Amino acid sequence: MTLLSDIISASANLHHSNHLPSDEYDRRIRDLVEYFRRLQTTKALDSFANDESFLDRFNPAIDSIPYLFVLRVQIQKAQELNADSLPADLRPSGRLWTCAAHFLASFDGVQVRYAGREWRLLVELVGQVSQAASMPLLGATLVKDAMLRLDPSCAVFTSTHLLLVQLCLQAKAYSCALPVLSKQICHFPISLGRPSSDPSVLCADHSSSVSFMTEASGISSKLSYRDYLQYFLYGGMVYMALKQWRNALHFLGIVISTPSTNSVSLIMVEAYKKWVLVGLLEKGKFCPPPSITTPHVVKVYQSLARPYVILAHAFERGDLKRLNAEIDAAKGVWCADNNLGLVYQVVGAFFSQTVIKLGKTFAALTMADLSKQVFPSPVCAEVTGSAVSSLIMSSALNATLVETKDHAETSMLRFSSIHSLPQLSRELDLQSQLKQEMKLMETLVINLGETNNNLGLSDEYIDSLHKGQVWSGSSEVNPIIGGEAGLEMDEDLMGDMS
Amino acid sequence: MELPPLTLEQLSQLVASNAPPSQLFEALARYELQACLISTGGSSSNTGSSDSTLLSLFYSSFFLVHLLTDQVSEARALTKRIPETLLQHDPSLQNCLTLLRAVWQTQHGQVYQVLRGLPWPDILLPLIRRYESFFQDKTLIAVSRSYEAIQLATAATHLGLDEQLVKQEDPNIISNFTKCGWTWDPESKLLHPKPIVVSPAEPQSSNGIRKAMEMLGTHAG
Repeated sequence: MTLLSDIISASANLHHSNHLPSDEYDRRIRDLVEYFRRLQTTKALDSFANDESFLDRFNPAIDSIPYLFVLRVQIQKAQELNADSLPADLRPSGRLWTCAAHFLASFDGVQVRYAGREWRLLVELVGQVSQAASMPLLGATLVKDAMLRLDPSCAVFTSTHLLLVQLCLQAKAYSCALPVLSKQICHFPISLGRPSSDPSVLCADHSSSVSFMTEASGISSKLSYRDYLQYFLYGGMVYMALKQWRNALHFLGIVISTPSTNSVSLIMVEAYKKWVLVGLLEKGKFCPPPSITTPHVVKVYQSLARPYVILAHAFERGDLKRLNAEIDAAKGVWCADNNLGLVYQVVGAFFSQTVIKLGKTFAALTMADLSKQVFPSPVCAEVTGSAVSSLIMSSALNATLVETKDHAETSMLRFSSIHSLPQLSRELDLQSQLKQEMKLMETLVINLGETNNNLGLSDEYIDSLHKGQVWSGSSEVNPIIGGEAGLEMDEDLMGDMS
Repeated sequence: MELPPLTLEQLSQLVASNAPPSQLFEALARYELQACLISTGGSSSNTGSSDSTLLSLFYSSFFLVHLLTDQVSEARALTKRIPETLLQHDPSLQNCLTLLRAVWQTQHGQVYQVLRGLPWPDILLPLIRRYESFFQDKTLIAVSRSYEAIQLATAATHLGLDEQLVKQEDPNIISNFTKCGWTWDPESKLLHPKPIVVSPAEPQSSNGIRKAMEMLGTHAG
């Protein structure tokens, strides 16, 4: 029997097997992956390295394992032959690129759980090639689809998350990142050897993807705190580009409140600078960092981002001349930090924020009075009216306009309106928000349970339980009794203190 | 499912279809990858000026569908992804930029002028008409919620109504407003809007509003 027919027969063993009991299906996929790893190690697969027709014989949706392994071998060969440049076959629209795109758009998510490393290497290659060919959009789209195909919840943070956001920023395809950015990240890949709460096989239906996206799976490369910070900073930048300031603040808040012992990462400082500007745009005020940020870190931020703090204070005081002066004085800083665009938007938001603040003092104002209050130099009432009308119609300002028969000056801006939307409209909005929150809570509850279990089984936790047992001496507390053990240990410690 | 190649025929069929905006967006988003390959010469389907025509029409359509799905910021991002030389020299894409500026700055009168007054390729006309209708619906809702009293002329500017008819206080226009639940005060010559409520699950182009806008007889001239 030739190697090809052997491969075809081995692959066919998996066809229509997903109806089998999980254990049997798991065994068959493992055997197949082992078989291909062996062929790869013995270089037997190299005989197909230049066989252009090989991949046509397989359907990546059914034969994901053979397709992935042989495609990887063909790509490696092409790279070896063109060590200095990007091989033509690998360039977008080249043969190997087309095969990779076809695979990433149609692979079987369950089979690929068993070949996570190979899947990741292919995804990374697609990202690199699209960058090298100056077409990051192609890479971003493929990477996003592949991620969602493998794990629709995207709840486990992987190196691919970061790759996707980088590609989307480079391609300026911001909404491409949203299907992943909008998912709640609840886990890091758990370490090798640590048992999951879900002991079933990889191919089973898992309540949380952390059960199969482990460190050992190779689905993510090794992660550092830097990757984590970068992901949330870049995610914040995607939301900034889409002017979703609230989401941007949330992402930046995660970066700046990351626990830190003594040194502060430059990424965190960059995020803080953007946090100050986005806070002005979203809330019209200088937002303090999230309360969990340690005070010494806040001090570091404020000293390293001094021009931003001064700018925010000028904005808060409502002094347009001072604001413009501060912006001019630190123009070099904004440019060097790549924040000039945001700073200009802050100036643009000054008018709307000033009008919103007036609403805290006045119930209503005529356009003529409003012009005097807002603009340092005289501006005709029509211009003010048009600007205010834009603000209200874009929902940036919760107020109404009352026009009069002839004069624009006497038109009125009413902050506390009797003309507010009917109750039904508010209730519908509220209902829709509640539905979204409920979905989010459901996801969090599932993932929190998983996290709780994983923490309960971690080495650190077992160690601390052991110490607690020693400290409590002849206490009758059994340390390994599940989730509530920690609480009991704390009570014992307190008892010792008294 | 395999995507048919991006061609003028395929594109014109797509934009002329009555598919919901979200479906149109999905379809065109998938074609953007092909457009990207064509623009960098990675596709061998067409050459030279036919490529430019196809790309111009594709990007213009995709831009309009962004607006039709109310993704103004992403429409702006799209203009940064369009090949620079094409964007600078193509009249249709230049029109898109002018339209973007008007929408971005909420210059309602300018939006209608761009949609109705600038020359658009025939293939884009179905999208232009759909967007005009969408924009009017959206603006009608916004006006109804933003004004307690509004001059007929101001309402006309926001909704792109015929200025001559408005000056003459055309009874048809006024009665169409009153059919939406607004009241007309002949003494002060002011309209008093009634806020329009739209369910969050249901985008604003509900049948009721569409009918109201049709009744307003919006096309100038």
